[in-house]
Amino acid sequence: MNVDQTTLPKKFHDAVLHWQRHHFPDYGLLPEMWHKYFPNDPEFCLCAKMEVGMGDTIEVGDQKGQPRMLEPSEMLEDQGRHLLSIIRAQASTEFGSIQQHEVTLSRAQEDEDRFWVLRVMAEELRHGYQMFHLLTSQDWSAVTDQSAEDMVEEILSMRTGSHVLDAFNIDYDSFVDNVVFAAVIDRVGKYQLAMQKVCAYKPFAQSMPPMLREEAFHLAAGVVPLRRWVQRAAQGYELVTMNAIQRSLDKWVPRGLEMFGHEKGGDSNIRFGFKNLKNAEAQSQYFEELQKVVADLNTRYVRARFPRLSHEEAEALVTRLLADRTKFEGVSWEDLLTLPDRRYFRRKGVPAWTMVGTRGESFEEVDAYVKHLAATLPDPYLHSRDMRQYVETLRDVTAGRITADLASKKTPNLKRVGGVCPCSKSVRWVVEEPVTAPPTAA
Amino acid sequence: MNSAPGSVVIRPLSELDLGRITAIDERLTGVYKPDVWERRVVYYLRRDPEACPVAEIDGKVVGFMFTDLRSGEFGLEETGGWIERFGVDPDYQGRSVGRRMFESAQEYLRGQGATVLRTLVGPADSDLAGFLRAVGFQNAPLQALEMSVP
Repeated sequence: MNVDQTTLPKKFHDAVLHWQRHHFPDYGLLPEMWHKYFPNDPEFCLCAKMEVGMGDTIEVGDQKGQPRMLEPSEMLEDQGRHLLSIIRAQASTEFGSIQQHEVTLSRAQEDEDRFWVLRVMAEELRHGYQMFHLLTSQDWSAVTDQSAEDMVEEILSMRTGSHVLDAFNIDYDSFVDNVVFAAVIDRVGKYQLAMQKVCAYKPFAQSMPPMLREEAFHLAAGVVPLRRWVQRAAQGYELVTMNAIQRSLDKWVPRGLEMFGHEKGGDSNIRFGFKNLKNAEAQSQYFEELQKVVADLNTRYVRARFPRLSHEEAEALVTRLLADRTKFEGVSWEDLLTLPDRRYFRRKGVPAWTMVGTRGESFEEVDAYVKHLAATLPDPYLHSRDMRQYVETLRDVTAGRITADLASKKTPNLKRVGGVCPCSKSVRWVVEEPVTAPPTAA
Repeated sequence: MNSAPGSVVIRPLSELDLGRITAIDERLTGVYKPDVWERRVVYYLRRDPEACPVAEIDGKVVGFMFTDLRSGEFGLEETGGWIERFGVDPDYQGRSVGRRMFESAQEYLRGQGATVLRTLVGPADSDLAGFLRAVGFQNAPLQALEMSVP
């Protein structure tokens, strides 16, 4: 590959490894098992990778046609601030997803599924490392008062519950979530990385292609286990059911849709030359792609139930069952997977707090809607703090105690800093190296 | 991206292509092998999806070509691209689908530093050999050898 690899200065590199020891203890298993699960693949490298040979001209926005910027000081103040917030959010997602995956990683039924997710986590660590490279290798003082050390410290201090984006503040309930998250939420990551390839700030644009290549495997680490599970579900395997997968989809798809930002927004990203699609446009393409995922899984399920059918016949049967809401030789349309309505269970964007059901039905009463959520979401998730806060806020919105807009803004309750290193000997992730006194002449 | 109806669109491999790739192979070989193709597609996604062009017509995957960039094997030090697997839906053969995928792969592999492309073809597979010669392949100085392991 045409990439330049680089490592962070020691204090930042050590901070990432220190964080890894606490939040990603399984990382050490990866080198041991690499050759078994990923034969012929290059060894994993915890480093920043910058694509070589990307264009020098800005592709979109107000500065289209001008040279790509190489340093933060070349950006307008608003522009620089906006990009910095994108980089921080991106970094937060990378470390956040590792914290989520780690909790249920050991519950994988198959070793291969587990080591695929383990590799995904390691590559997310690399992606976070990549964002730290962008934060620490350049001077951002023109747009922030925070030092590089404090920016890194802030991101490493985030926990599930205090990350920038909602999807990274929700606990996994089982290994089904590890896999569905990879198929649904990592797909948003793919869209963001693809859009950001045009970025007017060249180091950020150069970071995208290597991350995108790795992201392709992350999506497969979600979709392929799901394909195997639906096949087993069709054959009567009881431990992973279509219903369990459906509920996990209902849990994650709304959060994925919200990760694109408000449906009416995205102009600044284009104007500043950071992305090439507005939020609603990207979100629609994403939803269409999710529909393909679900159609593929349903076809796999139907072929496992009726091996005599060809691929095309199975596809046609799936389409007919869902369109007519009917049954065929013991398979009901309700046995198949469907995406929830785009307005279902939303707390951000145009449909936030509107009480729309998975199939687009509207609810008038909060209690009836909560009952619907209980019937469509994973049972353990119903008892989570996230769910309790959602229902409380929904009651406030419907009673007029808070506006929908304000409710969206206060979700999640951010506690950005406070998760300091749990080591007894340290209170910070980034530890300054001791200053060595220069040798003195005798 | 919109394209003219019936035109061939070439794009990198994605995990969403699994169903159609399996179906194309099934049409070519008569055997349904989803597990095999899941394993293969994941392998090539890990290597480099952009080195594996997929052809679409009217939104339907009609062909795939999996290639890999390597060097230092069999005493061949130069960076070379290997065309390892490809298939075109029989309903769409004769519409330059294979050629378009080959051109895309060639351009990408050249950009990654490949100075030579290689592949292997069975003596009985005259259609495949004919296609490969038509896009520029010639007999190689290396000869493929094998033996059964007792």
